[in-house]
Amino acid sequence: MKRPVAVVGVGQTKHSARRADVNIAGLVREAVDRALLDAGLEHKDIDAVVIGKAPDMLEGVMQPEQFLVGAVGGHLKPVVRIHTAGSVGATTALAAVTHVASGLFERVLTIAFEKQSEGNAMWALSPTMPFMPPLVAGAGGYFAPYIRAYIARTGAPPHIGPMIAANARANAGRNQYAHLQEPMTVDDVMQSPMLWDPIRYLETCPSSDGAIAMVVASEAAAKKGPRKPAWVKGGASYAEAMWVPGRDQVNPHAGRACAKHVYAQAGITDPWNQIDAAEIYVPFSWFEAMWLENLGFCEIGQGWKVVERGEQKFGAHLPMNPSGGVLCSNPIGASGMLRLGEAALQVMGRAGAHQVEGAKTALGHAYGGGAQYFAMWVVGAEL
Amino acid sequence: MSTLRNVAVVGFAQAPIVAHDAHRVASEMLYPVVRQALAQCGVERDAIDYQTAGSADYIDGRPFGFVGALDVMGTWPPRQDSHLEMDAAFAAYYAWIRMQAGECDTALVVGYGKVSEGEPERILNLQLDPYYLAPLGLGPMTTAALQASAYMARTGTSDRDLAEIAARRRAAAVGNADAQVRTAASADELQRTPWAVEPLRQGYVPPIGESAVCLILAAEGKAETMCKQPVWIGGVDQRAELQSLGARDLTRSASTKLATEKALAMAGLASANEVDVIETLAANPVEEMIVREAMGLPARGETRPAINPSGGPLAGHPLMMTGLIRLGEAFRQLSGAADGHAVPNARRAIAHSAQGHCLQQNLVFVLGRERRWS
Amino acid sequence: MHEPPKEPVKYVEANLYLPYHYVAGDNRARFMRALKDKQFIGSKCSKSGKVFVAPVPNSPETFAPCNEFVELADRGVVTTFCIVNIPVIGRDLQLPYVAASVALDGAAVSIFGAVQECKPEDVHMGMRVVAVWKPDGERTGSFDDVLYFRPTGEPDAPPESYIHRL
Repeated sequence: MKRPVAVVGVGQTKHSARRADVNIAGLVREAVDRALLDAGLEHKDIDAVVIGKAPDMLEGVMQPEQFLVGAVGGHLKPVVRIHTAGSVGATTALAAVTHVASGLFERVLTIAFEKQSEGNAMWALSPTMPFMPPLVAGAGGYFAPYIRAYIARTGAPPHIGPMIAANARANAGRNQYAHLQEPMTVDDVMQSPMLWDPIRYLETCPSSDGAIAMVVASEAAAKKGPRKPAWVKGGASYAEAMWVPGRDQVNPHAGRACAKHVYAQAGITDPWNQIDAAEIYVPFSWFEAMWLENLGFCEIGQGWKVVERGEQKFGAHLPMNPSGGVLCSNPIGASGMLRLGEAALQVMGRAGAHQVEGAKTALGHAYGGGAQYFAMWVVGAEL
Repeated sequence: MSTLRNVAVVGFAQAPIVAHDAHRVASEMLYPVVRQALAQCGVERDAIDYQTAGSADYIDGRPFGFVGALDVMGTWPPRQDSHLEMDAAFAAYYAWIRMQAGECDTALVVGYGKVSEGEPERILNLQLDPYYLAPLGLGPMTTAALQASAYMARTGTSDRDLAEIAARRRAAAVGNADAQVRTAASADELQRTPWAVEPLRQGYVPPIGESAVCLILAAEGKAETMCKQPVWIGGVDQRAELQSLGARDLTRSASTKLATEKALAMAGLASANEVDVIETLAANPVEEMIVREAMGLPARGETRPAINPSGGPLAGHPLMMTGLIRLGEAFRQLSGAADGHAVPNARRAIAHSAQGHCLQQNLVFVLGRERRWS
Repeated sequence: MHEPPKEPVKYVEANLYLPYHYVAGDNRARFMRALKDKQFIGSKCSKSGKVFVAPVPNSPETFAPCNEFVELADRGVVTTFCIVNIPVIGRDLQLPYVAASVALDGAAVSIFGAVQECKPEDVHMGMRVVAVWKPDGERTGSFDDVLYFRPTGEPDAPPESYIHRL
């Protein structure tokens, strides 16, 4: 990066199945107002607005950032809208970082949201398209075979996914904004209906309404702010084509390439020991084990053992998803930025009840598409 | 302002704009233009270190429509990538910002999406505020007509004035092999066309058509190896305005004015009169007049810069990439590749893109045959 | 003038009506017409020789054009799968059913299909399967022309043969 960039404010909404108390602008403003307040800034201090969200069919509005220009304080400012499927929240934050890194903008407001209760989410995500083979039973049906392949490759026992799910809920109990907070045991999960074998009902992400906003700023601007900022040490977003023979959806190449790039920028050579907390995109439980490997936290085939030993739980060696993660809140367009924002909150020392003690370096990660888009950043407490 | 990085447009290819491509899906239309653009630059796909795209799910008529483009853009091995739900010109703007941040040295920018598969008048109604505006049933034609009506009332512009501008654009398009409409039409003929939505006649508004576009950007050091005459970006800026039709003066484009001022200042130019060509995404003659005024040029009559020598959107408006085509056309003019519609001795150009109802958001590039910064 | 509402307006109902007329494209159309004749058509990469089902304009791997159509066998191997317990919009299958990735013999990538005529728990990676088509006269040149895949009873394919075709 040409010059250092910091996160100087974070604000998010309470995520829930349906935020009937606010309209779309209201949902976005809840996050924006909190982020600006957090950063000690007003709209006039913001030089550009970078917005991201997932398919617009989810709300029945095309390019909603256009009608939201006023609500986000974007009048006569540069406004950009990113859309990279499930990873969009993360690529959006990274685009905002790029704006500041370019030297052309001092403070950029970045927002990611989804108010998917307002449309028909299942239809919006996978309408029956002519001339295309029918998708097997939604996203879970798409990913389940690769989870099965992971289990076959590693010999992992069936309770690993349920352990991850139960742990996520325990984490969400410490996050005032999380959608699903009710605790559940590994047994509760194992007793829940099997949807797409091997994925059970209680191992899948919810459908949520929610938003998150952050202010990213230059070093000079960050040093003027009231908060201890989170410094962006590295960030990148990668994609890979769908129909490449040999594409590995269990341990995706694009994920590995992205992690390699970001770790190099951030000077991470030993992720397991150098990263204190990780917010990674886990929409179905088993991905936590798979991404532990894909992100280089452990050897290939060992991710499930990390989980079995509980080393990724809150309070253990490398807490993963201390916020509860995507398994507990999934406003699709926002989820990627929630991961990156939560990572920032950790190193800012502002994660409240789910603060990982002494966290100095944190990873935020997201993915989307048929395991094609990967975006992540590493943030640090020191410049 | 401190020195910025010199970045140039080095390649541009587009599928000729057609009313309806019955044989290819959007990604199939895109593949050949990506190959053409790379071939123009004499490089393989691996030589490009960033890729970005502009398209819209609602135009594609499916969620995640842009994912289909990955397979035809050479996204293997995994590439650094992004996608904007905006006119592809904004994707080029974003790629330029990445270059300024030192995050890449070359970029492939694409625009695609089959407009003929849906009904834009219905679809673009959905861009409007879902509580107050969309339920009124307004579409892009009706909002444009409201703007036109207001503009004509303020300025005394006549139907004839609109017809004359449209006739000039139609004449220019005859020399543009990629235009959809390539027949000239006189102002008289155009004035006899029925109303699309009064005061805009069918002869003054673009036809529905589709295309696929690829443009390549490169930073100084790389650009010179990829193009005999790179077209250097000297200034760029974009601004959005409130959408609400009653919240702004529809007869003046404050965002175009501001973006133009900022882009010209960055480019070290005092006025838009200093460029030789302006390619503008003005989708009807009134929009063109509003844009011209915003740029400090006379709204009617001749201007020193040639306006839309390609014919502009009136000759073809494939929606999510029309802005990128304006940038590509400016490149063609300045690099000597505008066969059939070349403006002689063109040294500087402005490429303007817009999106949203009534010119809600505007992007201005200032380009030149010479590097801006040394 | 109507009376203003007594309660504040809380909801706006909007039913969207958006007609789309999709083009299959010549490649996809050729593929679907061939299904009527119980054939799977793929396209071959001019550089690597790998065959993609359904036909595509270029290989996403090499970026080279695919300019040759190839007919593939209607049998292949299950590379991975899952057992589905919830109904899908638009599909009429009995629950639970097996949704599988099937790599047809000669194809470099898999297609999706259901596996039936066996117990779901008997399905496994490497299992050889063959397509079961709708009867003659009922096929129309659409994806439903393939009802499902059934096991052939042949010995399993070795992992090396399908591991790169997941």
